[in-house]
Amino acid sequence: MLGQGIETWVFYALAFTALIMAIFVVTARSAVHSALFLISTLVTVSGLFLLLGAEFVMGAQILVYVGGVMVLFLFVIMLVNVKEEEKESTRIFTRQYIPAVVLVFLLGGAFLFSMSRLRNEHDFLNEAESKMAQAPAPAGSPAVDAGKNSKNTQTLGEALYNQAALPFEVASVLLLVAIVGSVLLARGRKQEKIFD
Amino acid sequence: MHSLLTTLLFQIGNAAGQTVAAPSPWAPKLSTFITLSFLLFILGVAGVLTRRNIIIIFMSIELILNAVNLNMIAFSRYWQLTGGGNANTGQIFTIFIIVVAAAEAAIGLGIVIAMYRNRETVSIDEIDLLKW
Repeated sequence: MLGQGIETWVFYALAFTALIMAIFVVTARSAVHSALFLISTLVTVSGLFLLLGAEFVMGAQILVYVGGVMVLFLFVIMLVNVKEEEKESTRIFTRQYIPAVVLVFLLGGAFLFSMSRLRNEHDFLNEAESKMAQAPAPAGSPAVDAGKNSKNTQTLGEALYNQAALPFEVASVLLLVAIVGSVLLARGRKQEKIFD
Repeated sequence: MHSLLTTLLFQIGNAAGQTVAAPSPWAPKLSTFITLSFLLFILGVAGVLTRRNIIIIFMSIELILNAVNLNMIAFSRYWQLTGGGNANTGQIFTIFIIVVAAAEAAIGLGIVIAMYRNRETVSIDEIDLLKW
């Protein structure tokens, strides 16, 4: 089947794009550039979701993050004056290099430790890999039923309303609280006076 | 170099529709996805710890949440392929993380706006009232 090779290359292309864009998010001087780089990171990560067979999550990611949250970020950058930061003479980093480096190395050590544990019982992965190779789906990335309609959204919706019905309702309450809270936080002096 | 070349040939052979017995060592595995999401997570942590602009710190938090989402989806895929547990659990978690991230962004940016109105700054160096 056409699948495996091409999907591997697509994975690596998306992964490197996501990483490079993420580096630019952290290092870009202008907040607007940062937001645009973050948008491209989110889009490439949603491509990875698609590669992993999670179509609904990919759509939700595009709609909620790129269409909603990032537009909100751009609006706030527009409202807030960031001209000061864009001058070359202004520092864009804090002086917290040492805690940052220490924490990053600690996290890296924890990661390497856990990955080495994973490799010690490597049959865990290798068996899975060989099982994947026997299954109609090739290893790691591709869609299970290539050519057929994916049932991802249907099964996900059923699971969401059966297994996770209570968290679903709690999430709706959380969103309501977030709406009311952001309106309260963002009101101006004049509005505060009218209400208080 | 040799393994790279054989990998390439395997890939081309696969693309041409031949049957290849051995799975390519470069094919993305669970550990590949975990590594990618770890690197994204680390970049987000570095951004949170070192940037001065509070809006970019928020963006780094979104990056961290997205790295976790990628990890969840990778494990969901893993369960789907190995038949352990309920494969939808990871995706349900991801959806809830997206919901919470949206709520967090709305509240956080509201706080940024309120703080900018009072202090005329978005630099965390100058917002140090609670610093000891």
